[in-house]
Amino acid sequence: MTALQDLNARLAQKPAARLEVKNLCVAYGTFRGPFNAIDNVSFTVEPGTTLGLVGESGCGKSTVVKAIMNLLPEATTVTGDVLLNGKNILGLSDKALQQVRWTQISLITQSAMNSLDPVLCIGDQIVESILAHEKIPYGLAWARAAEMFAVVGLPAARLREFPHQFSGGMRQRAVIAMALSLNAGMLLADEPTTALDPIMQDQIMTRIRGIHEHLRRSMILVTHDIAVVSETCETTAVMYAGKLVESGATADVLQRPRHPYTMGLQNAFPKLPVRGTSRQPLISIPGTVPNLLMPPRGCRFASRCPFAAALCHAEQPELIQSSDGHAVACHFAERAPEFRLAARQAETWRAKEAAI
Amino acid sequence: MTRASTPAVVTAENLQTHFQARAGLVSALAGRTPPAIRALDGVDLTIGEREIVGLVGESGCGKSTLGMSLVRMYEPTGGDVLYHSEPVTHLKGRALKQYRREAQIIFQDPYSSLNPRLTIGQIIEEPLKIHGIGPALERRALIARALDHVRIPASTHLDSYPSDLSGGQRQRVAIARALVLEPRFIVADEPVSMLDVSIQASVLELLDELSRELGLAVLYISHDIATVGYICNHVAVMYLGQIVEEGPAEDILAEPLHPYTQRLMAAIPNMTPGAVRSRIELKGDVPSPQNIPPGCRFSSRCPFATDLCTSVAPELATLADGRRVRCHLYDGAIAEAYPGLTPPRAEIAA
Amino acid sequence: MSQSTPKTDLPPIAGKGMLAAARESFILLIGDSFAVAGMVILTIFAAIAIFAPWLAPYDPFQAMLTESGRLLRLAPPSSANPFGTTAFGNDVLSQFLYGFRVAFIVGLVAAFAVGIISTVFGVVAGYFGGLIDDVLMRITDVALSIPTLPFSIVAVALLGPSIENIVLVITLLFWRNGARIIRSAVLTERERVYVKWARAAGASHIHIIMRHILPNIFRVVFLWITMSVAFAVLTEASLSFLGLGDPTVISWGQMLNTAFSSGSLRTAWWWVLPPSLGLIFLVSSLYLIGRGYEEQANPRLRRR
Repeated sequence: MTALQDLNARLAQKPAARLEVKNLCVAYGTFRGPFNAIDNVSFTVEPGTTLGLVGESGCGKSTVVKAIMNLLPEATTVTGDVLLNGKNILGLSDKALQQVRWTQISLITQSAMNSLDPVLCIGDQIVESILAHEKIPYGLAWARAAEMFAVVGLPAARLREFPHQFSGGMRQRAVIAMALSLNAGMLLADEPTTALDPIMQDQIMTRIRGIHEHLRRSMILVTHDIAVVSETCETTAVMYAGKLVESGATADVLQRPRHPYTMGLQNAFPKLPVRGTSRQPLISIPGTVPNLLMPPRGCRFASRCPFAAALCHAEQPELIQSSDGHAVACHFAERAPEFRLAARQAETWRAKEAAI
Repeated sequence: MTRASTPAVVTAENLQTHFQARAGLVSALAGRTPPAIRALDGVDLTIGEREIVGLVGESGCGKSTLGMSLVRMYEPTGGDVLYHSEPVTHLKGRALKQYRREAQIIFQDPYSSLNPRLTIGQIIEEPLKIHGIGPALERRALIARALDHVRIPASTHLDSYPSDLSGGQRQRVAIARALVLEPRFIVADEPVSMLDVSIQASVLELLDELSRELGLAVLYISHDIATVGYICNHVAVMYLGQIVEEGPAEDILAEPLHPYTQRLMAAIPNMTPGAVRSRIELKGDVPSPQNIPPGCRFSSRCPFATDLCTSVAPELATLADGRRVRCHLYDGAIAEAYPGLTPPRAEIAA
Repeated sequence: MSQSTPKTDLPPIAGKGMLAAARESFILLIGDSFAVAGMVILTIFAAIAIFAPWLAPYDPFQAMLTESGRLLRLAPPSSANPFGTTAFGNDVLSQFLYGFRVAFIVGLVAAFAVGIISTVFGVVAGYFGGLIDDVLMRITDVALSIPTLPFSIVAVALLGPSIENIVLVITLLFWRNGARIIRSAVLTERERVYVKWARAAGASHIHIIMRHILPNIFRVVFLWITMSVAFAVLTEASLSFLGLGDPTVISWGQMLNTAFSSGSLRTAWWWVLPPSLGLIFLVSSLYLIGRGYEEQANPRLRRR
């Protein structure tokens, strides 16, 4: 058995991780007081599954990832628990964190250019992250890096090249290779394809899906694209204005949404026409996201929700899980089937817009 | 909708916009000039009254260059831009300024397209001042009407600053600024790609309404072929400075012909449960417009490419149903000569 | 929609003018206690510079005499001469007060050099780019390669030590750094989407510069003015201290120079201290204002 096979076998033995986020709250310190970017978010990623974290800009989905990786700026208050395989990794010391990052949990960032060092060749950057955690010879680490390049579909010869010689899509793949290099049990992918062209986006997502099938790591995929989630993730969590509004099995959440926001998101999402069927018109959600410096007293979606009642403006709904694992934070969750029908009508939302 | 139904407002005829890269010191001393960047290389396109034409392609394909050349932010290096059948390709001075009143552009980024130091009123008034229109009272009436068109209440927002508005509202202000000069033609360059999904629809809807109510000709530029179907009558797909496929929106979205269009469509994730997307795998990356491959420009990545494709550039041929495709696979005469060729649509369907 | 009746209930279109923008900057500055301290010092100093002839008890060159009719040399502070006298029997307080005037003239000239010359150079080069940029920036490069102190010494020595010549030298030296900084600020502003849009809408260059470029680079210009003024005051003091000052005009550098050349630098503290402290306070007040402004204008520098 060669040293490389030995290393691969050893790394392959790492189990997929279980991640449990409990009551996570994040408040950024700002000039005008605390900005409650995340308010009481809880979810679980079972080993070997992919959770899609969806929401629009500013909903806090990227902040969740940063909080898990402990990458938030100094003046931020973070409370709650982030249990990785039962062990709380929130508030660990830098040294303890180093043991966790890359070996147990690794991050694929939004902009690959920022996470690569422009003056080092890509191979050396991957090798460096391997050698930081494995006491193995340089040559072996390089061989492992070459193998990871093959996994993401890049020729090993290009390991010697520098980030600027790569196209955007290749850089993103190199970052994925780096995240995979120690076969961490948990992968966090924060909008991995946002800055790319559609065909490249598709190729990268296909690659990520393939890797997931093959390696069965646990993964959180943060994205604003519900279609990507629908194709990639077993479970889906929808965030709005710093709160989790709905979560559950992807098919349940996206096909039978129970929260009016998820319904609105569905309507607003552009779809390709299916031959022979007439297409639903796009319907936008009226109004704007509330200012989290002064969060509303009641449900945060109430100001834009066509079904909002007095109760919604007065009291925050709890995230309540039903027996099928589908959780929703809406006072009128039991009326969801009725809402779903109404939400498909553009008039429902237009009436709300007129009311605003 | 057939193409002949509305009179043409803007027409590009074999339009070329090449950029000359600046020579480095060594090559400048050696007297060599670097190859021109052929951002736009022979584009024919017509946009009619009350019509929204979608222009789709990946970054660097020249779609923004086409938009900017049509509103004369760039001066084309070849071919012609016709406005109501009059060439505006090389207008200068006063005539150009007059054309600028007729043709407006809306940019992608609603966050940097409005000067943060000006109020909404000032921003929309600016084009009127540039063109020396009216006394202040008349300008105010025009501003009120423009804001009314984009459904922003003038009474409350006239004195606010862009930082007080959401992304969607800013994009509406940008549209109002374009409308206030009462143009006949608007280029919307990725107007919704930086907006949240939940408000994209309202901006698209607005463009659609304005086109119909004011009779505007609109060129809607987007990298997202999925949004194009909602508002466009007609779609053109660009690849490396040329149009590779063009036709009525329904036809192209229902049955794309060019392998590139097919790939572009297949790249859109599908939310229908259990739907399987068949993809043709493309080789490599988009070539640089400084170094265009011989023959068909797509041949370097096309899985169906033959020797013919790598040597002879296909023409934009008009098919029986009126669509135009730039691909040898759809040229009847060539298909006869090369019996091995089959149009890729058969394979995709399989 | 071509025939429009000018009838609307819309209020007049208004925005911030230059004055309002200046007021806004001022309000920003007031928020920073250090900047307020700097402004208070600067205001007092300016008042002294203007009213120096009335404030000074004597003519700066008037010789003080003892009761016995001899020159009152190096007298320590007393009720008649609160800051003592110089080795030539002149009243230190009067000289010190007149010194404010030179400092302020030099400062104003530097402000002018940076505010006008650098801005024009920077904006023209940055906005138009291309050949104009190349030519203007090569001129700036040549100017930048001139070493400050040797050039000033040689130039003043050749032209003759007069306040006009010192001012001329400072003007020649101080526009160049600002021009580069302002040009790079303009390069950023020029690429803003609203500038592109204005061009597409048919706006003239003057319109774009006045409406979109200048208001947005005002901060950079202001910051550079404060820094340049401080530096110019110090340059004048250095030249005068080196003996290249105008012998007929009293400046703080000149005072230090005479104290030094008469050998009383160590003994006559009352002669050395006022001009030194004057310089320190003037320069620090400018730095405080600049720093305070930068901190208030740039949210990233704000303390949480």
